[in-house]
Amino acid sequence: MRELELYFGPQHLGMVGNFSITLQVEGDRILKATANPGYLHRGFEKLMEGRSWIKNFPMVCRINVIEPDSMEMVYSMAVEKLAGLEVPERAQFIRTIYLELARVGSHLFGLWAYASMLGFDTVAQWAMYHRDLILDLFEELTGGRVYHIYIWPGGVRRDFPDGFKDRIVKTLHSIGGCVPDYDSTFFNNRLFYERAGNIGKVSRAEALEMGGTGQVLRATGMPYDIRRIEPYAAYDKVPWNVPTREDGDAFSRIWVVRDEMIESVHMIFKLLDEMPGGEVYNRIPNPFKWRIPKGEAYVRCESSRGELGLYLVSNGGKNPYRVHFRTPSYPHGLTVLEKALVGANISDVGNIMISLYVVAPEIDR
Amino acid sequence: MNGLRCFRPRERNNQLLKQELETAFDGITVRIEKKNRIELSIARNGVLSVLSFLKNKGFNHLQLVSCVDWIDDGQLELVYVLSAYMKEDTFEKVEELNIILKTRIGRDNPEFITSINIFPVAEAYEREIHELYGVIFQGHPRLTHLLLDRDYSIPPFRKDFDTRLYVDDFFGSVPAVEGEGESL
Repeated sequence: MRELELYFGPQHLGMVGNFSITLQVEGDRILKATANPGYLHRGFEKLMEGRSWIKNFPMVCRINVIEPDSMEMVYSMAVEKLAGLEVPERAQFIRTIYLELARVGSHLFGLWAYASMLGFDTVAQWAMYHRDLILDLFEELTGGRVYHIYIWPGGVRRDFPDGFKDRIVKTLHSIGGCVPDYDSTFFNNRLFYERAGNIGKVSRAEALEMGGTGQVLRATGMPYDIRRIEPYAAYDKVPWNVPTREDGDAFSRIWVVRDEMIESVHMIFKLLDEMPGGEVYNRIPNPFKWRIPKGEAYVRCESSRGELGLYLVSNGGKNPYRVHFRTPSYPHGLTVLEKALVGANISDVGNIMISLYVVAPEIDR
Repeated sequence: MNGLRCFRPRERNNQLLKQELETAFDGITVRIEKKNRIELSIARNGVLSVLSFLKNKGFNHLQLVSCVDWIDDGQLELVYVLSAYMKEDTFEKVEELNIILKTRIGRDNPEFITSINIFPVAEAYEREIHELYGVIFQGHPRLTHLLLDRDYSIPPFRKDFDTRLYVDDFFGSVPAVEGEGESL
């Protein structure tokens, strides 16, 4: 059969985000896939070198549109490490709750993308609605729905407003009450298994070799999670589990996402119970004149997509000297995706890409 | 859950690793920065052997390959950040340690050797460094454009690349209408 070159994206219904893949196909089978990022390259890392430490926050959160919160967190952690700042304990708890809320929101967005791609439009609408409820909480807490700029070096911008705890619990209960509906309509649906089972298989050895983290690795049975390995914020203050699956296919990855959402909600309840009182913010020097001592930091945290790292260098000036984000989608979208697509069917390209949880702006930065 | 927290005393391990590295490689500088961080620097021709040594030691996760332009020294610094995944059979964490390996190369005509034979994940990072800093990685199978689509006289992430000047030069004027006798 004749070999053809096929362009998949950026203008393609099956493609989520500004990303494209060049496929070498024979009939419906993919022989070779080449990822083409760059449609969203805004040069943030270079632009950040020209802005002061604090002015970089609006930029940092735009690197991952869907979950900007872990970006704020990793940047704050790096700045705190370089400047030697302490964070009050209450702020650590608030940060953790906030990050877990963001994780649930981000997973619901991922579920929307995945379900609507498979044709489960009802489930997709539910997921988007439930994400919106979480965005309402963010709006009340921070003033912004998508980009929050809530975590600062030294703590968080403000304390929880009155009654906010109760509203978190109420919202999460109303989302959690729909889990049986999600299960019966989507997760336990035979159609979901038929479309996702044995699709886009990535074995554990392959995932380890290609820098896989997050769901890609946890779907192969390894409970690798930075929150557990290098606990930051308040993740070591309450008990929680790392959900895993064994098969390494798209079906397992989406199930890991589902279990993680439920685990995050349980974690939020435990954190709300144990939240200490006190300050939420340690004052930093005048941000317009703030110089950070010469040095460098590498910090990492677990975003909803996997391991997120930041290499930050200061030469003692008002601006960072070099910023480099290690985003989880980078190895997933460039190395793992190219490998996972070989031998797959054309109709499964979007399926595999979304199940790997690739977000294009994270790759381009 | 707390069972995962039992690992050997870290400080002693770090000292052991330091001794092993210093005996195995000439001219390596090992600095134990904090309990969970070791910084190594070595001349350019020792990097690949250190990387494969560390991989055999269990540091099998190359998190990041980065590049810093030290324009005042006339050098580019390549940075490899390594750590360990979990043990594959018991899922215990191996070592809570980030290793930062650095080497410096000249800024004019920078050339280096690719490390994708040791860590396949380095492929995309090296492509990016090639594009943004102009480092040529010998042995790399595809040093093509990754994020950008134009060629630049100065690689755009170097310190002497002026973004504002570039924008003015490139987008600052209204291009002439085709057919009016003026070329772009």
